[in-house]
Amino acid sequence: MEQLIHRVEEWVHQQPIEQIYVAFAVLLFTISFFGLLHVLRRSKSNTILLAGLSGSGKTVLFYQLRDGSPHLGTVTSMEPNDGTFVLHSELEKKGKLNPVHLIDVPGHSRLRPKLDEFLPHSAGVIFVVDSLDFLPNCQAAAEYLYDMLTKAIIVKRKIPILILCNKADKVTAHSKEFIRKQLEKEVDKLRTSRSAISTADIANDFTLGIPGEGFAFCQCRNKVTVAESSGLTGEVSQVEQFIRELVKP
Amino acid sequence: MLEQLLIFTRGGLILWELGNALKGSPIDALIRSCLLEERSADAAFHFDAPGGGAAYTLKWAFDNDLGLVFVAVYQRIFHLLYVDDLLAAARREFSQIYDPKRTSYGDFDEIFRQLQKEAEARAEEMRKSKQAGRVPVAPSKKQAPSGAARGSGKQRSSGGGGNGGGSGKDECDGDSGKGRWLANGSSNGQENGINENSRAPNTVVKGKENGAPEIGAFDVNKLQKLRSKGGKKTHTGGGGTKVAKAEPTKTVKKNRVWDDSPSESRLDYTDPANERGEGHAEVVAADQGESMMDKEEVVSSDSELEEDEELENEKPGIKKKGWFSSMLQSISGNAVLEKSDLQPALKALKDRLMTKNVAEEIAEKLCESVAASLEGKKLGSFTRVSSTVQTAMEEALLRILTPKRSIDILRDVHAAKDQGRPYVVVFVGVNGVGKSTNLAKVAYWLLQHNINVMLAACDTFRSGAVEQLRTHARRLQIPIFEKGYEKDPAIVAKEAIQEAKRNNSDVVLVDTAGRMQDNEPLMRALSKLINLNNPDLVLFVGEALVGNDAVDQLTKFNQRLADLSTVPNARLIDGILLTKFDTIDDKVGAALSMVYVSGAPVMFVGCGQSYTDLKKLNVKSIVKTLLK
Repeated sequence: MEQLIHRVEEWVHQQPIEQIYVAFAVLLFTISFFGLLHVLRRSKSNTILLAGLSGSGKTVLFYQLRDGSPHLGTVTSMEPNDGTFVLHSELEKKGKLNPVHLIDVPGHSRLRPKLDEFLPHSAGVIFVVDSLDFLPNCQAAAEYLYDMLTKAIIVKRKIPILILCNKADKVTAHSKEFIRKQLEKEVDKLRTSRSAISTADIANDFTLGIPGEGFAFCQCRNKVTVAESSGLTGEVSQVEQFIRELVKP
Repeated sequence: MLEQLLIFTRGGLILWELGNALKGSPIDALIRSCLLEERSADAAFHFDAPGGGAAYTLKWAFDNDLGLVFVAVYQRIFHLLYVDDLLAAARREFSQIYDPKRTSYGDFDEIFRQLQKEAEARAEEMRKSKQAGRVPVAPSKKQAPSGAARGSGKQRSSGGGGNGGGSGKDECDGDSGKGRWLANGSSNGQENGINENSRAPNTVVKGKENGAPEIGAFDVNKLQKLRSKGGKKTHTGGGGTKVAKAEPTKTVKKNRVWDDSPSESRLDYTDPANERGEGHAEVVAADQGESMMDKEEVVSSDSELEEDEELENEKPGIKKKGWFSSMLQSISGNAVLEKSDLQPALKALKDRLMTKNVAEEIAEKLCESVAASLEGKKLGSFTRVSSTVQTAMEEALLRILTPKRSIDILRDVHAAKDQGRPYVVVFVGVNGVGKSTNLAKVAYWLLQHNINVMLAACDTFRSGAVEQLRTHARRLQIPIFEKGYEKDPAIVAKEAIQEAKRNNSDVVLVDTAGRMQDNEPLMRALSKLINLNNPDLVLFVGEALVGNDAVDQLTKFNQRLADLSTVPNARLIDGILLTKFDTIDDKVGAALSMVYVSGAPVMFVGCGQSYTDLKKLNVKSIVKTLLK
């Protein structure tokens, strides 16, 4: 072993010094090149998903962000709405803007599996909640949210989630604080019941939060924030902020 | 007359709208309950606005190539004849001006108004001509349905209401599970007695049996052409429809119901005119007798229907393409999928499904629905028809089998516990499917999650049933509520629930006696039990070995529960427990049939005879097995 090292050292000393420098430089260059590429590629993904229960306002939001108005209205979506565009409100801004790839996934429970197709490429998820009709759907929304929070992709890549309380322009809409608390409570309940399922049928890959304590969104490994918006009137500033944070212009 | 006509993309954006938004949002209901449930090949959808609003009928058409849906809504009391025609025309016109980038189509208003006028005029003409050639026809005997007639009869998709009661019955079979839908094949009511020709199984058309009155043959056929393909009689038309014929006036005799067919709200089963003039094909059909039967299926199974001209040809839609040209087209990807292209692939798929023990009519309906969603679509490059069809079918199957509501029982149990009442589950099913065995398995599973279970022995009929449950209770060490034999099960259940409340049990599992779906008094007793106790979960136990009978069982069970219920919102079957799953190797079709018919998710699967043999349904693996 030591002989080998000695041999190598002698050989190295024998090479002209410039060659070594060059070799070293090339090596350094290649490494930094790949490193840069890797970092750049990670943030290259400009896909944002719009998910949520059926009727929460995802399609309206999609068209609001794209065109600035929901046109004639929407019906229950049967297929995802997919578009790459510059946010409507930023069209007036000068300069080169990075277009955003927005996908609106239908919320109907039969079409849920479609979400899994789009998750691997997404940089962030906007979970839209109907703040008007919240309490009757609270359980279903919490279940959907729980399923999402425990998906392997979301946990491993720490994909940030924005819980958007839509329809906030209506008078009887609940506040985002209330919604956040309710969701946390429901998810907590789900946590206990789901983790109790027998090993044969674990549907969720990961468990949430800290056992023993009540669940809170800040305990998630990925960033979970709550915001308000109104798809119909165009109050989508917080959404755009979230999007811009993830998809650098 | 039309309340609303909507054109929207499959992604949900409304592109053009006529009329105002309606109360109860019938369009959303249509999408959720019909189009997403793979029933897009049905003729029409009936919607009752909740809270006593108006009753609407909805008809739709697809443009699969552009991904658009055209829906027309009108009040059920108006039997509009021109709707299908109008939808097809609108589709034609709109697809020409459609541009994916555009979102407002104001110029379509004018075009549409014109189309509407034309369509109305055409309908008027047809009605007049129909009234002219009225001929009394003896109702033909019901025929042993030939496969083709059956198939086509059942699926009477669009094409405007098919035979009133005929297809009504079909839809009843298929939809009665949904309780509130008044399955009426169509809403068109035509008083002419002749229409009932369509009732008479196509046999009349096909010149079978009473060789339909030769005199009236031509007229009859002319009328047939006005009929929507629904003209196919439904073999199941058990609802013996003996409609008064020969009466050119409105009075129609009350239909006598020969067996347990669901009572139709519409008594007039006269066949509506086929606005699209598809009848042309039938005119030809009559002349050629039986041979047309197969072609008929090709034509009629065409839900949305292509151009009328095509129908006038004897071979609608069957173009002979050379091998080379079809190969070329599949590579270049410009081939537009047509019915004839899809037929062979769909037939192969249907046979494959049937070998996997899927009920025949379910396989048929599914294939039609997939066809409806693929027609007119452009083939991608380098794809063959069969692979497109396979993918579409796979998606459809996945969609059907994915539960549309949460099947997390534990959470519901906890919710009930929070409310301070026990969670009641009632097991129903026909004889010998494994209710008591699987009830014990479910109890065992619940016990493992630290839930207090109590059994209620409401099978007071079969000898040894109570002892059987007692043994299970002893082995599982849980309390059991029993009152012996010959007692009223409804009362026993009621007392069991009260007892459970007293001794703080979280769940009450109620065992009932097995009963055949045709047995009226027993079904009545079951309905009484459910109405009296209002359980949280009505679990239908069905065995995986069952074949075509699954459809019948579930439909009749649901129907009985709906009919005999005392409250407006009848409790129907909420979930399915599939048993004896270990006995079938890969013939898993029963799961599909049951889920399709009832819309209820499969909550448990029993796969053995010991306590631990209970598992959840793995949707992906079932779909894979079905399509292997």
